Amino acid sequence: MSENPYQTYDARILEVKDLTSREKLFTLRFLDPEVEAKFNFKPGQFVIVDIRGFGEFPISICSSPTRRGYLQLCIRKVGRMTKFVHKMKEGDVVGIRGPYGNGFPMEKMEGSNLILVAGGLGMAPLRSVLWYAIDTGKYENVWLLYGTKAYEDILFRDEIIHLLKHGEAMNCSVKLAYEVESPSCIYLEQGFSDRVCKGVVTDLFRGEEFDVNKAYALICGPPVMYKFVIRELLDRKLSPGRIYMTLERRMRCGVGKCGHCVVGTSVSMKYICQDGPVFTYWDALSTRGLI
Amino acid sequence: MRYIKLPSENFGKFFKSLGEWGTLYAPVKRGGIYSFQEVHDPAEIALDYNRTMLPPKKFFFRPKEAILRLKNGRWEEEVEAEPTVLFGLHSCDIHGLKILDKIYLDEPADPYYKSRREKTLIIGISCMPDEYCFCKSLGTHFAMDGFDLFLHELPDGWLVRIGSVRGHEIVWENGELFEEVTDEDLANFKEFEEKRAKAFQKELPQEGLADMLDLAYNSPVWKKYADICLTCGNCNMVCPTCRCYEVCDRWMDAYSSVRERRYDSCFMENHGLVAGGHNFRPTRLDRFRHRYYCKSYFDPTAGYNCVGCGRCDEFCPAKIEHVKVLEEVRGSLK
Ligand SMILES: Cc1cc2nc3c(=O)[nH]c(=O)nc-3n(C[C@H](O)[C@H](O)[C@H](O)COP(=O)(O)OP(=O)(O)OC[C@H]3O[C@@H](n4cnc5c(N)ncnc54)[C@H](O)[C@@H]3O)c2cc1C
Ligand code: SF4
Ligand code: SF4
Ligand code: FES
Repeated sequence: MSENPYQTYDARILEVKDLTSREKLFTLRFLDPEVEAKFNFKPGQFVIVDIRGFGEFPISICSSPTRRGYLQLCIRKVGRMTKFVHKMKEGDVVGIRGPYGNGFPMEKMEGSNLILVAGGLGMAPLRSVLWYAIDTGKYENVWLLYGTKAYEDILFRDEIIHLLKHGEAMNCSVKLAYEVESPSCIYLEQGFSDRVCKGVVTDLFRGEEFDVNKAYALICGPPVMYKFVIRELLDRKLSPGRIYMTLERRMRCGVGKCGHCVVGTSVSMKYICQDGPVFTYWDALSTRGLI
Repeated sequence: MRYIKLPSENFGKFFKSLGEWGTLYAPVKRGGIYSFQEVHDPAEIALDYNRTMLPPKKFFFRPKEAILRLKNGRWEEEVEAEPTVLFGLHSCDIHGLKILDKIYLDEPADPYYKSRREKTLIIGISCMPDEYCFCKSLGTHFAMDGFDLFLHELPDGWLVRIGSVRGHEIVWENGELFEEVTDEDLANFKEFEEKRAKAFQKELPQEGLADMLDLAYNSPVWKKYADICLTCGNCNMVCPTCRCYEVCDRWMDAYSSVRERRYDSCFMENHGLVAGGHNFRPTRLDRFRHRYYCKSYFDPTAGYNCVGCGRCDEFCPAKIEHVKVLEEVRGSLK
């Protein structure tokens, strides 16, 4: 492989799937089998997608390393480059470099309960954790608390509904909160009255008794969400060291050079791209500006 | 360290001999300011310069440079570096390069920076502080390494410290230009250093600096200065340790494009902007404070991110003084 950390590798788009009106799921595979074979990643890591001649942007890997041979990215159309990607089709080629970042400590958490808390697009990196946990079977129970705006915005809707129905058999319990009422939501709520409700993601904590000594929480969502979710977890006496969250900053290089993702003050400065994007709540308490 | 002496009358010959190692750059005076420029005649050099506007980082991390070129749908790398000699770096700038090294040579190394760094000889030169310098407070007023040769002014020549194998080679190949150091030379060297130490007018008390700043996060002093600041980003451009960059792809014609990077500044509003318009440093105050936190970060292996060169003060159009801001912030804590 090249010595140049800014060089990217050709990957072909195998499939493009509409998840919602704003998000598409891209399934990719590296053209070079050697690159493909070497590409290992952990849930929570991200790649930099290179649209040659247009630019680069960071995207979390939303597939699980347990499922090899392809890579999945869930991309929301928000601006110039993501709009361009949304026009791409099966067979088109993009550049990929990475994986970057620290990822979630999956091995350390083996044997514990996992509480995944996702808000909106935060579902993307947590889907990698979810499938990793289900595929390896190395975790006791997995809760997924997922807050979404409306039925139409539920990412990986088929998978979520499948888990609502059959999750029990995989030690996986899914709960869903929606904000905008619709016939589909009401239908879901009737089917799973104990697990689907109108409200925000923190409402899903109501009535849940987590065994905090055996649990880890993994959070990803919009910036405003962290404070409220963390409060719920701390109320349940979950140790700050067992609360993991994945964060977002502007990124250019992904490898600790360009300075865009630096946060903190004179006593503690962190690079989100290298020290993160996954941090514990202890990190947040000791690094200003992290959340 | 090996010490030898370069007598004044041999200086010209010595300087010309450096040309064999690569293109020679040295500080020259252009209008009212100094800058590192290609030099052929030693008479052009401003040996007693205070500071250049752009620090030597411009030779390794360029204000604007192509990193990849798109040809036939593939990125081609462009790592060009020619042998270069940087003559006349002050100690603080050598420390500045060491801080950049920590970032750019750390794995994965930046290939552009690295190849230029490897092909460049660094010749340091002693200096007298002016009203902006505070390197002594930060311990960056004397370079122990990071150079090939370091020239210290003596009444009748230069005391030369040899800092690398290449430095030894230069001296070896020009053996006839150098003399052994005498006791008198050492006494003169000591005298110069003592005089220099006394000449510092500005001091940054660094005791507990990092913690003090962290505690003073909400100090009103930040706002006072943020209101004066023009957010022009000059202080970032001229700082020997600032190295944020922005990347963009630029089409040359219908078939080829370049991926360029250029200096970026944390004072710019879009520095902390992410998708959906969320900005992690939305106000001028956030950005102003961030720069001070970044510069005063203390890395146990590399020291502070500031080397006390005084450039940000000299070239700030709003006349904001780095040390004064930090001292006022400290004062506001009591
Ligand atoms: C670690 C990480 C993981 C991410 N994972 C996902 C994901 O799984 N799915 C998803 O849809 N989005 C994800 N994002 C956000 C995604 O990177 C931005 O939506 C994207 O860069 C926007 O680019 P744009 O050109 O379409 O938008 P514009 O708003 O037009 O962007 C303008 C410029 O700002 C830059 N920019 C904007 N937002 C960001 C950002 N957050 N980080 C870096 N550069 C930015 C773009 O590169 C672009 O050059 C992630 C961001 C980070 C940092
Ligand atoms: S040079 Fe001065 S005015 Fe310009 S951004 Fe820096 S502090 Fe503000
Ligand atoms: S912050 Fe100012 S004094 Fe310190 S190294 Fe940068 S330019 Fe020089
Ligand atoms: S993305 Fe460039 S330093 Fe983190």
